[in-house]
Amino acid sequence: MVEDKTTSFMRSLCMGEIEEDVLLPFPQMAESEQETLRDIASALSGLLGPREEDFRAWDREGEMPSDFIDELKEFGLFGLVIGEAFGGMGLGNMAYSRTLQEIARYDASVAVTVGAHSSIGMKGLLLYGTDEQKKRFLPELATGERVAAFCLTEPGSGSDAASITTTAVRDGDHWVLNGNKLWITNGGFARFFTVFAKTGDAEQRGHMSAFIVPRELEGVSTSAHEDKMGIRASSTTMVHFDDVRVPAENLLGEEGKGFKVAMHILNSGRTGLGGGSVGAMKKLIQLSTKQATERKQFGKPIAEYGLIKQKVGHMVVECYAAEAAVSMVAGLVDAGYEEYAVEAAISKVFTTEALWRTADEALQVAGGNGFMREFPYERVLRDCRINRIFEGTNDILRLFVALTAMNDVASQLKELSSTMKGLLNDPIKGFGVLSNYAMKHASLQTNLGRPKGRFTKLHPALSEEAEGFETATRQLALAVDRVLRKHGKNIIGKQFASRRLADIMIDLFVLACVLSRAHASIEANGEEGAMREIQIAHVFAGQARGRIRRNFRKIDNNDDELIKALADGAFEDGKFAWDTI
Amino acid sequence: MKILVPIKRVADPDNANKVKVSADGTQVTTEGLEWKMNPFDEWALEAALRLTEDGAAKSRVGEVVLVSVGPKEAVATVREGLAKGAERGVIVEGNDNDLDSNVIAAALAAVAKKESPDLIVMGKQTVDGDSNVAGTVLADKLGWPIINYAMRIETSDDGKTFAIKRDLDVGVASVKVTGPVVITVSDSILHPESVKNGVTPADFKYPEAEGGRYASLKGIMQAKKKPIAEQTLSGLGVDAKRTVTYKKFELPPARSGQTTFVESVEELVEKLRTEAKVL
Repeated sequence: MVEDKTTSFMRSLCMGEIEEDVLLPFPQMAESEQETLRDIASALSGLLGPREEDFRAWDREGEMPSDFIDELKEFGLFGLVIGEAFGGMGLGNMAYSRTLQEIARYDASVAVTVGAHSSIGMKGLLLYGTDEQKKRFLPELATGERVAAFCLTEPGSGSDAASITTTAVRDGDHWVLNGNKLWITNGGFARFFTVFAKTGDAEQRGHMSAFIVPRELEGVSTSAHEDKMGIRASSTTMVHFDDVRVPAENLLGEEGKGFKVAMHILNSGRTGLGGGSVGAMKKLIQLSTKQATERKQFGKPIAEYGLIKQKVGHMVVECYAAEAAVSMVAGLVDAGYEEYAVEAAISKVFTTEALWRTADEALQVAGGNGFMREFPYERVLRDCRINRIFEGTNDILRLFVALTAMNDVASQLKELSSTMKGLLNDPIKGFGVLSNYAMKHASLQTNLGRPKGRFTKLHPALSEEAEGFETATRQLALAVDRVLRKHGKNIIGKQFASRRLADIMIDLFVLACVLSRAHASIEANGEEGAMREIQIAHVFAGQARGRIRRNFRKIDNNDDELIKALADGAFEDGKFAWDTI
Repeated sequence: MKILVPIKRVADPDNANKVKVSADGTQVTTEGLEWKMNPFDEWALEAALRLTEDGAAKSRVGEVVLVSVGPKEAVATVREGLAKGAERGVIVEGNDNDLDSNVIAAALAAVAKKESPDLIVMGKQTVDGDSNVAGTVLADKLGWPIINYAMRIETSDDGKTFAIKRDLDVGVASVKVTGPVVITVSDSILHPESVKNGVTPADFKYPEAEGGRYASLKGIMQAKKKPIAEQTLSGLGVDAKRTVTYKKFELPPARSGQTTFVESVEELVEKLRTEAKVL
């Protein structure tokens, strides 16, 4: 672990530096916390295990009964992240994420109900609440007497969160809130809303503030339950605020800092969604192994056929990688790192897509049965599709990953260019900046004199994979430099280029997490005992290497402009322009 | 009322295929096994908790003390029982290989003498040893009555006498007994109306739950703070020795797993007689 908690592994990586101490050793929960989690898992199997038929029925009905939600409250599922002093369990990020994993094995709607409350609904209160606000609301939030909901999205404001139109106007000791929030998870029964509203002038884009709005305030209302593709039993509604007079003491965080509050909540909540996705993957692997060993065709179990093994083998690799990434990010949060937004976004993107691929392949292993509603596969597929959309779409998150991770390099270049301009005024300082940059560049090109260019602590059994990582890191730093020098500030509009870099970064971060996890296992179990994990690392590294190479190649050699033109053509036609008749 | 509930950690019967025998056949190896509370003990714990609470108000009115004789790791199993509602626990440390029903009963008797409970409620057997004798030997050592296979328990107004229905193959036997007494339970004790303690409203029905209640998260947190006393066999003055020694363990022969569908009862009987040779 490094002293400086502002180090971001990925931001450093874009400069060509491998901050291995951020990722090593692989985070692990204390033994006592592990025991608590085993108890939670066993209690959850008592609570949720016998409900399989109910979950299926509630999916069809599109709602879970209120007495079941009462059972969840009584069980204590709404107090997971709230401190013991306020009646909760006080779980750390890693333990919380692992708990959501366990819930998601049984039902995604339940996981989303619990996750929306703890990961985002009341997270703002934990992160920014005053002592007085916490005292007032946490005890009721812990028992579930108040279930929480996060209200950011609006009909006209999705990925562009800064464009919200809900307003809060100061009136004496109150703020008067007006606006509509869309697709609010837990909206139907939540009694605690974290609401984001514009508090600046109409022209002040992004000047918003966060408010705690209890449901009982006059003017708060919700619409009907939305009819959704998946997570159908979870409550999703519109929430309306009609001249709601919110007491000034309910302002959450500083006035005008609402956007930062919203992003901090979303960043720190990502391991909940990640944990849920990993739980669903584990369930699918269990289902697929059962299906493969029991289903016989051509006289033997289909588990003996290569194409089934290929699917299940990949599922195992993806699940290991996804869990490594989610645990790593949760571990960073627990260890007090402040800069984990890029890593958290990567874990969300990778894990939700890995789950989608796993659900698709598990359904394929089940064949025709997979398509039947009698079996769980189609429901998991429907349920997990939203993961790539909500809490930040994976597209927006890719751009976020690339642009944020490159930030340090960009500011270095900015300094460089201003130095170039002012070179004659201050030649000595100018020479320093220039030579620093030239040194960095030269060392990246030659791979000489780079103190943080390598992993030094990984077990030799992982050396081939580590070397691949180091080579790709050097290429990444050079590519980031080249791309930024080429596009400058305009990089923001270059989504094709950003996406490629983001995909490279995603592969590299997840690979680093896999290596860290496999290393930990070798340390604990010896090379022999960790053999299968070393094999997983080998397979994942190979896959990542292929993707990374392709992406690097395409930075300079691609069909981006042609594809854009074809899209523009389609927009103009408003349809597919060709036919065979 | 104070109830002593002996519990044992056993290899998870749902993962019985992980049970392996050592190469020389002298013992069952425990590596890689998943552990859980003996299911029969879970039923006993459920009965004891019902006897000592107001089920409708969800408040405790008596005390349940868990006792486990076995390795230190059994503390996790005791903690699980505490999370479900028991008040405290006792662990009597012992190596599984040095224990049999006789030693266990002697250890439990020593704990019972110290604790003087009104009742001992326990599983009729464990799913690993399947001996089905510890309860009876324990009652003998204490000089208490033994009531096996209880399926209904009703306490009298003064809490000293118990009307018990016993679940027998031939029917149901009704008995009345005055405590202290050792009771072993059958799975029928999980029936929603199996326990009447005079505190829980008579018309209250417990939810149907396989294996009894599960812990709540609050219970898990509270369990961390509940006391678990550590004892040793010698500390308790137990000098009982094993009376049963196992000569050899073998795994049952693997089953073919083949399923044959038959058209009629006649064909079934025929096949059972000629192919399976079980009739």
